[in-house]
Amino acid sequence: MTIPMNSGKDCARAWEIMPWALQATAAPGQREWLMHHLAQCEACSAEFAQQSRLRCALSLPTNVPVDAEHGLKRLLERIDTPEPDATPVRRWSSGNRLTRALAAAVVLQAIGIGALGVRLWSDQAPHYRTLSRPALLEPAGALRVVPAAGMKLADWNKLLHDLGLRVIDGPNDAGAYAVVPAGSASSSASTLRRLRADSDIRLAEPVDDTP
Amino acid sequence: MNEPTSDVDSRDRMLLQRMAAGDRAALETLYRAYHGGLSRFLSRLTRRADLIEEIVNDCFWVAWRKAGSFHGDSRVSTWIMGIAYRCGLKALRQRGDEPVDDYALREGRGPSHDPDEDRELRDWLGEGLKHLSADQRIVVELVYGVGNSLDEVAAIMQAPVGTVKARLFHARIKLRNVLPTLAGDPPAQRENMS
Repeated sequence: MTIPMNSGKDCARAWEIMPWALQATAAPGQREWLMHHLAQCEACSAEFAQQSRLRCALSLPTNVPVDAEHGLKRLLERIDTPEPDATPVRRWSSGNRLTRALAAAVVLQAIGIGALGVRLWSDQAPHYRTLSRPALLEPAGALRVVPAAGMKLADWNKLLHDLGLRVIDGPNDAGAYAVVPAGSASSSASTLRRLRADSDIRLAEPVDDTP
Repeated sequence: MNEPTSDVDSRDRMLLQRMAAGDRAALETLYRAYHGGLSRFLSRLTRRADLIEEIVNDCFWVAWRKAGSFHGDSRVSTWIMGIAYRCGLKALRQRGDEPVDDYALREGRGPSHDPDEDRELRDWLGEGLKHLSADQRIVVELVYGVGNSLDEVAAIMQAPVGTVKARLFHARIKLRNVLPTLAGDPPAQRENMS
């Protein structure tokens, strides 16, 4: 990078002003000062002459042959051509591939998360249940039976077997079991009577009658 | 270009208003008024006539559609030059082209009716410009050829004023070191800048 040998503050200032003096946009005082400096400084005067020539050269019309009327005709044709309806599609097709790939990944992720959610939701309803869970909805004809605390398991099982009953729920907090007739048999009033007649049964009643 | 700048800008603003209302005659007037200047400006980026025409048309296609959004924050010429500059860079990018580097090779291929003096001046300019980067050529064109201020060049190139100033400075230094030799003159006495 070089500057004139006699460079000083004045030459640097002249260098700054030259383009704007050539444009005639420099302040009148600046231009007057520059002319005064150029009259005294040979290097800056040569530089200014060269820049004047540069400006002349750059002001010449381009020598690249571009026909204005031909271009204008094509522009008007372009304006008259209706824009294709598929502009948004074209935007997509010409869009950034990375953006489209990311969008596809987000959609896939959403689908995956949705599928996982459905799976987890279904897993929350296990195929087994614990006895501490609230009683299931008893079927019609079910009986609620409360055996005595001292009733032996073998007696309880024999009674159920003799009456053709099976336990579907219980015991609940009150020690009640829900029983239904095994197979296609339906509980009858006689079943209820026999249950109530057993000394080891504290309570026997149809579930339907429970308020 | 002898009209005062303010008169030209007033005329251009009226044309833009008419264009915003769909007046094609206004578009044609503005197109013809700017075609020469834009072609010369764009010839600092590319020497291909077909590409220059395409970029000019892209520029006026945008101007036609956006005429209503011109708020007068700058001169109309600055607005249009900015659009043309961006369209030019985009067109070159889409084609994988670089701004011309073989400036001198092509600059000399002027029309045969070019007066000798003009041809000599063009050759001299072409030799000088080939030492500049595309950005430096654009800044030199806008300042010396078009007559833009630093602020206007910054607006056109969407670059900070400091960057424009630096590009102009380095372009001038390069040209000063090259052009006197090309003209057959001995280089001015110089010393290195510390």
